[in-house]
Amino acid sequence: MRIDSIDKLAAWRDECRKRLDSQKKKVLVCLGPGCLAGGSDKILEEFHEILSKKKITDVTLEAVKKTGCHGFCAQGPLVIIEPEGIFYTKVKKAHVKEIIETTLEKGELVEKLLYKERNGDGTDHAIVDYHDIPFYKYQKRISLRNVGQIDPDRITDYIAAGGYSALAKTLSSMTPQEVIDQITKSGLRGRGGGGFPTGRKWATCAKIESDIRYVLCNGDEGDPGAFMDRCIMEGDPHSILEGMIICAYAVGSREGYIYVREEYPLAVINLQNAIDSAREHGFLGENIMGTDLCYDIKIARGGGAFVCGESSALMKSVAGEVGEPRAKYVRSVVKGLHDKPTVLNNVETFATIPVIINEGADWFASIGTEKSTGTKAFSLAGKVKNTGLVEVPMGVTLRKIIFDIGGGALKDRKFKAVQTGGPSGGCLPEDKLDLPVDFDTLTKAGSMMGSGGMIVMDDRTCMVAVARYFLGVLVKESCGKCVPCREGLYQLHKLCTKITKGKATEDDLNLMENLSRVISVASLCGLGQSGPNPFVSTLRYFRDEYMAHIRDKKCPAGVCRELITFNINDQCTGCLACIAACPVEAITGEKKKLHVINQDLCTKCGSCYEVCNFDAVDIK
Amino acid sequence: MKFQFEVKPSLCTGCRTCELACAFSHTRDKKPGRSRIYPIAYAPDKFVPVACLQCDDAACVKSCMFGALKRNETTGAIDLDRERCVKCMACVAACPFGCALVDEGHDNEIVKCDLCGGDPACAHFCPTKALVYKKIG
Amino acid sequence: MVNITINGKVVRATEGEMLLDVIRREGINIPTLCQHDALEPAGNCRLCMVEITRTEWDGWKKYVTSCLYPVEEGLIVSTHTSELHEIRKTILDLLLANSPHSDVLQKMAEEYGLHKTSYEPNLEGDNCIMCYACTRICEVLGKSAISPVMRGHEKVIAPPFGEEPPDCIGCLACAHICPTNVITWTDENLTRTIWKKKFELIACEKCGKATISRDFAEYLIEKRGLPKEYFNTCDDCKRVELAQKMGALVDKAKEVAL
Ligand SMILES: Cc1cc2nc3c(=O)[nH]c(=O)nc-3n(C[C@H](O)[C@H](O)[C@H](O)COP(=O)(O)O)c2cc1C
Ligand code: SF4
Ligand code: SF4
Ligand code: FES
Ligand code: FES
Repeated sequence: MRIDSIDKLAAWRDECRKRLDSQKKKVLVCLGPGCLAGGSDKILEEFHEILSKKKITDVTLEAVKKTGCHGFCAQGPLVIIEPEGIFYTKVKKAHVKEIIETTLEKGELVEKLLYKERNGDGTDHAIVDYHDIPFYKYQKRISLRNVGQIDPDRITDYIAAGGYSALAKTLSSMTPQEVIDQITKSGLRGRGGGGFPTGRKWATCAKIESDIRYVLCNGDEGDPGAFMDRCIMEGDPHSILEGMIICAYAVGSREGYIYVREEYPLAVINLQNAIDSAREHGFLGENIMGTDLCYDIKIARGGGAFVCGESSALMKSVAGEVGEPRAKYVRSVVKGLHDKPTVLNNVETFATIPVIINEGADWFASIGTEKSTGTKAFSLAGKVKNTGLVEVPMGVTLRKIIFDIGGGALKDRKFKAVQTGGPSGGCLPEDKLDLPVDFDTLTKAGSMMGSGGMIVMDDRTCMVAVARYFLGVLVKESCGKCVPCREGLYQLHKLCTKITKGKATEDDLNLMENLSRVISVASLCGLGQSGPNPFVSTLRYFRDEYMAHIRDKKCPAGVCRELITFNINDQCTGCLACIAACPVEAITGEKKKLHVINQDLCTKCGSCYEVCNFDAVDIK
Repeated sequence: MKFQFEVKPSLCTGCRTCELACAFSHTRDKKPGRSRIYPIAYAPDKFVPVACLQCDDAACVKSCMFGALKRNETTGAIDLDRERCVKCMACVAACPFGCALVDEGHDNEIVKCDLCGGDPACAHFCPTKALVYKKIG
Repeated sequence: MVNITINGKVVRATEGEMLLDVIRREGINIPTLCQHDALEPAGNCRLCMVEITRTEWDGWKKYVTSCLYPVEEGLIVSTHTSELHEIRKTILDLLLANSPHSDVLQKMAEEYGLHKTSYEPNLEGDNCIMCYACTRICEVLGKSAISPVMRGHEKVIAPPFGEEPPDCIGCLACAHICPTNVITWTDENLTRTIWKKKFELIACEKCGKATISRDFAEYLIEKRGLPKEYFNTCDDCKRVELAQKMGALVDKAKEVAL
């Protein structure tokens, strides 16, 4: 159906909802990146396979569908049965038959697949409805509202969920200026990392005299470990389109691009499907919803570099040039793509827009903190129990995210630091856990919001090695155009390596501090300017650890190979396990007698430490 | 106001004073520049001073891909902007009169007559007045 | 015209012209490596950084590359603070680490009191400082025969696929503009070799002297509508030709007078 007038949308929505409501039971199979890696596509096939042969009342084939990432990746592959919200975890293809027979046919639970929450006394209890699981309970989902809930390929799902109603509201009752005013009033700040006020960006673009204006979406998501944008692009592409169309109306644009990172082929497919069906139904192209608005979107494939996410590099890449940052002191809202005024916003920023339009600026501004309103999505990763995708109101503490939602450090080890803000973000220690998460607080603490990557580290993490790792990433990702970034980060990384080898002096550390300052002020783009962060923030909070490497030639966390020794203590039961595991035959000993490591032969591979069941291997 | 050289070959003795004057008036880094003017014998004992004609539709200006050659509106000369020149030799090859030159003494820079900024040294020093710099029009 | 302040002195400048040009016009010396008048500013070397502020900024200041910062009314500029000294020195130090053998860089670093790099020198490093002057000038020429390839520290300037650049016309603009003289070429027996590609040099039909490559001449002829004959003889022989033509005219005039 083509929506050629605003009124038609409501009727269509009723139809879509009726159809969904007629499905008594729905089975949602998560096909997000994590679950897919666990084989969830096979699970979905198996459901269809069995159900196409076996008719069950209340369950139609159409009601068994794929969704984008549901969030709790650590428990995947996930299968959710609505309306009860029954949450089946770590599902395998072999479980499908049982789920069908037990839950869909008999209405009973498959106990073993339920999520188990640990009690204080070490026992477990099962939770059936995922809404009651702490991981979900403390979240508030705005940009991720539909991700994991709808089939991204069905525009009818999006419509039933209220999709394109914000666009209808915009087109029927708001002037472009009113839209901009609402966004400004909502306090929304860009979710791509910089935190620039979105309303102000739109207002600037709209004001500039120009025949052409562009509205672009940044889906480059280069931060390793971050996958919020990916999940929205894959799981709820229409929400991005709707945000972009509203923006196009507000600033007066006819043309736009979504720049998608090379490594996200599924995002490209789902977005393209969404664009095609939006066009078919009259939400894109000429005379959108029967009004004068004309706007269309194309997909631009990324150049495969982290720096391509930087606004000027992105625009060069979209224009078919080499994706390197441009060194001009003119903002891209003024002179962007093809030198025309251009709005560039992040995926999550655009996905939030329709909600602000529908619920109102005041409602949005009431969530979060005064200067960072609304919610923010994070991808929780690293040494944390509940890895996955979370969205919380701005201003909640890091502790809440990492411990209440994330469940704390993996294997109940001691939490040491959390890294936020992508490769050029910073690491915050335990005593910063009660800081509210918002743009300004994180920056002040020496880290940054970035696009929302959050990597948890435990006490077996060496902060010097962490700094070295992230610097290594940045050295590889630097475009190499400007000297401070190209040569500076390279030398910083080399010096960091020198520290991990125990060969650095305090003079080297001073040189690094000085160099870091120069890289930050003198680099051309954000990559270089924030490039020394991994070093600077770890030095700020973990100087002792640096000094241990430099003065004592020790790695307290037991990570830096050159600085550690493996020894067997008297816990050793003489089980021979380590002797078998050692690849260089450095361990000698007899059964039931204390084993000994020959330090001259030991290569510090850690195999003995891994296999020992009696905590008898010490790393010092 | 427009000026022009008036060359009277019959008066030129081939003394090469203009050459010296040009070279010294273009001294840089304590080294005289390459002369932009040459008295050339066209027959035994018959000389004519040859220098840039500052052509209206100049081949050198056209040949420069980097915009280093431009008419100086005050002097009327075609000036070479050393900061723009990349020594690609296009003008040297293109000038039909061979008046864009390479100054070997100055790191192979390209040079050409700049009318000494409006007061040509060659005409000043020419002992026989074979070279006169005159107001025209 | 606008008024700006440079190192305490009020200076008049044209709105929109680049700060570096104004600074240089004032006779203030700032080191640069990627700036060239024939090129659009690129901001690669970062040596030309200066500190700017405005009265209404309340003491807040920022560092910008003067080569591409357009002048605006009320700008207050400092060109030689101790922090700027540190920035320039560090940049030269970093460049020297990668190109310890470059005499150009050694000389510049000396001026900042650096006799050798503070970092581990890369003894195998070439002298390329990635200023892109070569690729930019080739772009101005309209050829773009070479370009930066790879990323970060691995980046090199190279022809497509590292092979003979099909678009190169052997003009040597890249080699001459390179501030650190990295790009090598040879002229031997009327054959020029650059970027491993060979070019025929046009020999003067009178004396045999070579000036430019045939490909370059043909490009100029086509692009700029120059007559082909202009390129057949060298500058020396063309001056003699001119003398002979002028002489003939004079002699003829005399004959007529007689
Ligand atoms: C090196 C670098 C990489 C960046 N990568 C991304 C990215 O992957 N995605 C993104 O949305 N913004 C990225 N940004 C920020 C963008 O430049 C830009 O600020 C953002 O897309 C604007 O959208 P927003 O205001 O909605 O955040 C990056 C910036 C820098 C300096
Ligand atoms: S006018 Fe000046 S520059 Fe030209 S030839 Fe005479 S002395 Fe030389
Ligand atoms: S080769 Fe020379 S001109 Fe080209 S980028 Fe390197 S230093 Fe600059
Ligand atoms: S290469 Fe991007 S900041 Fe230097
Ligand atoms: S001269 Fe300005 S950045 Fe190189």
